[in-house]
Amino acid sequence: MILSSPGYLAFLVAVYLLFWLCRANRLACLGLILLANYFFYAKWSLVYLGIIPVASSLDFCIAIALERAKHPFVRRALVTASVFMNIVLIASARYVPLLLGLAGAATHAGWTLPLSLSFYGFQAMTYTIDVYRRDARATRSLLAYLATVSFFPTTLAGPITRPAALLPQWEKNRSLAPEEGGRALFLIGVGLMKKFLIADYLAEHLINRVFDLPKLYSGSEVLVGVYAYAFQIYYDFSGYTDIALGSALLLGIRLPVNFNQPYLAENIADFWRRWHISLSNWLRDYLYFSLPGKRTRAMPYLNLIVTFAIGGIWHGANWNFGVWGLIHGVGLAVTRGWQAVRGKKKPSANLALRTMRILAAFHFVVLSWIFFRASSIATARDILSQIFSGTVEWSNITPEFVVVFSFAVAGHYIPKRWYERSQQAFVAVPFYAQAAALVLLALAIQYVAGTGAAPFIYSKF
Amino acid sequence: MALPKKTSLAILTFGVMTAGLGYAPGPPWLRLRETVLTQVLHFGPEAAPPAPVAAPSPASAAPESRRVLARTPLEQRDARQILDPAGIMSHFYESLARTERKEPRAVTQVLHYGDSPVTADSITADARAILQQRFGDAGHGFVLMAKPWAWYGHRGVGLRGSGWRIAAATQSRAKDGFHGLGGVSFEGGVGASSTISLPDNRHTGMEVQFLQQPGGGAFHLEGNAGPIGDVSTDGETEAPGFASFGLPSGTGRVTLSVTAGTVRLFGWSFEKKGPGVIYHSLGLNGAQVQAVLWYFNAGQWTIELRHMHPDLVVINYGTNESVFPEYIERQYPGELRKLIERVKTALPESSVLVMSPMDRGERDSSGDIVTMPILPRIVDIQRKVAVDEGCAFFDTFDAMGGAGTMARWYESQPRMVSADFTHPLPGGAALVGRLLDDALMRGYARFRAGTIGVQ
Repeated sequence: MILSSPGYLAFLVAVYLLFWLCRANRLACLGLILLANYFFYAKWSLVYLGIIPVASSLDFCIAIALERAKHPFVRRALVTASVFMNIVLIASARYVPLLLGLAGAATHAGWTLPLSLSFYGFQAMTYTIDVYRRDARATRSLLAYLATVSFFPTTLAGPITRPAALLPQWEKNRSLAPEEGGRALFLIGVGLMKKFLIADYLAEHLINRVFDLPKLYSGSEVLVGVYAYAFQIYYDFSGYTDIALGSALLLGIRLPVNFNQPYLAENIADFWRRWHISLSNWLRDYLYFSLPGKRTRAMPYLNLIVTFAIGGIWHGANWNFGVWGLIHGVGLAVTRGWQAVRGKKKPSANLALRTMRILAAFHFVVLSWIFFRASSIATARDILSQIFSGTVEWSNITPEFVVVFSFAVAGHYIPKRWYERSQQAFVAVPFYAQAAALVLLALAIQYVAGTGAAPFIYSKF
Repeated sequence: MALPKKTSLAILTFGVMTAGLGYAPGPPWLRLRETVLTQVLHFGPEAAPPAPVAAPSPASAAPESRRVLARTPLEQRDARQILDPAGIMSHFYESLARTERKEPRAVTQVLHYGDSPVTADSITADARAILQQRFGDAGHGFVLMAKPWAWYGHRGVGLRGSGWRIAAATQSRAKDGFHGLGGVSFEGGVGASSTISLPDNRHTGMEVQFLQQPGGGAFHLEGNAGPIGDVSTDGETEAPGFASFGLPSGTGRVTLSVTAGTVRLFGWSFEKKGPGVIYHSLGLNGAQVQAVLWYFNAGQWTIELRHMHPDLVVINYGTNESVFPEYIERQYPGELRKLIERVKTALPESSVLVMSPMDRGERDSSGDIVTMPILPRIVDIQRKVAVDEGCAFFDTFDAMGGAGTMARWYESQPRMVSADFTHPLPGGAALVGRLLDDALMRGYARFRAGTIGVQ
């Protein structure tokens, strides 16, 4: 059940109504959320009902044991067990089939889980590591923990939410203010618009073709396809995140923000403060800080590369993702080195220089997206060779594509206050106007998109 | 009751309005499709990723979609078999039989003309590999002098060229129509060169096809195992020229360099000592029947076809025509007939096989991938013309599963067709190559059993 499907929206409405009807009873609410979470998993496969409750209960017990244990060895053993279990869960979806294939297994289709457990695993690890580091207290409510760690809006692709930040929100017995409800509906509407009217349209009308068989297209068309992909993945992923944030907010739960106009970044470090923020924070707090050699001169740079190489490989058992991670790791290490050389001197605020920095960072990211999106290193090489072939031909780029692409670019770069004003306007109008706006959006999606609901790009990671 | 009032009312109103739009009468653009509304209430398990597509049997072929025009079959037919009421494939099968018996110098040659998939040696590479595995490898065959399109390529062959003025029959076109066997002319002066890396170093001979012309320049051929020869393209009149050479043992790479004046080349061909099969892949980007009929100089092409003396000519067009439905109904049958006549006049002894285009998909207004409505019509026309003209016919469209195949291929894991629903990805191309080979082998088996021509 992807978050943009009609089925999900009906499911969300049902959960919303039941949740607020029993809001006075905390246990009933948590029970309902747990039921909704497991229903969401079961929709993908009943196998999850045998995995998630067991893994979550083990992490719950490990966290309590961690809090009680005094001996460092025992504590380390406990947290290692939790980390190991969750890494196995994360790897199960994509590396078990690969390993079985390498081992010569005749068939391993039955081993492939339809839904990656990455985001569940990240959240679960966060909890036990926080308790191990004494950054968070272990909850004594199994029900609250189970409902939190598998919270359905974050299941597919985050945002990675620390259970320690989510657990207290269940305790508050508050109502949903009309402003919050309006914001939630607005976020869901914007998310659907980003997904269907922009991301899927761009993909369907050029990007997928160009990345399938780049040599069939001119250099100019491939270049446009690559630029368009940068916006497709942004609108796809941030659209998903908006729907997730809106879904949670309908239940009075605030999830962390995951995107902040990433293509306005002035360098690659800035990019990662704006793109998939919950993942970059996770990598920093739970992987980078765990690597040895923090006080040495060279190791922090190497650790950055290692962190992002691992982050790349997490995306899939494919050399492309490794190259993508390495590009970003090296980019971050170079940026950090440059910042160390410059000291505290701030970059120039001159508009032209700032624009150049933004363009340079953007093109660096676009280059890396080629490896991220291409099906193989050979395809990525074909894409690059086509771009530099100098061939110019525009027959595969339609005026409609140009309009949607221009809208996508403009939508990303508009001042934030414009977005906030439109949100405030939506929140302020009467309920029937809100409903009418959403109906118009549904009609527009039906009219313009007409391409079916493609899965969110990040739901496979 | 703590139900948030405004938000709940907004959701309720939205639900009522969408339901109303689904069922109330009104203009089409103001109606939500029933499929959307039924999805709201669908709570079955998520669909598992579609399994890889296997070569379909006629019994498992999908029912035709509503978008496919009704057809009256010419006769009961098996899509996996070649339709050959005139028995024209006998010549090819006889040659294959000689090759299989390992008779001295028994080389079976196939010329496969096609559009963009064949340009990249898709389908043909797989057909070549399968046939050569069974009957022996008599060489890679014809390759253009350089890449007219980045997309051009032959499996296992490396090709680099520089300094050529390229004129393809489907694009920039040579004014005199001299495009050679492969449909592309390469003109260059001193400094122009091409290098080809062959799939292996067991080729024993090669031939360069060029235009002999008054004042024609000269070129030199150099292999990695030593010099191969020099050729002057000077001649009294304009005529197709052919320069053949034996290759030094171990030659795996050959470089052609223009040494004097200006030369005009069409391609080079590589062979091994037979017996075996040579499968020449002759793809042109954007090719249609019209391109060959109108822009190939008929006289030159005839001489080149005769020079190659193929046992089988495959005419595999139709995909690019599918965007011109009016042309299909009015001119296409006549032009296809003329092309077949031209080939048969040039090669009266050879087998001629019309191979239909693959399925081609497009999105309909509801977003579903459906077969282009004109595609089955093109296939019908091709079948009728082929039978009328005494040619054989292979229905690729039906053999690969008929209408809706590209939708299935697009949704299969791994995907078998590009997102343009037209160009096969490697898995799809290999499947079509196997289907063609399978059909040829079924016909060959019937020939050997003495039942050829009986359908």
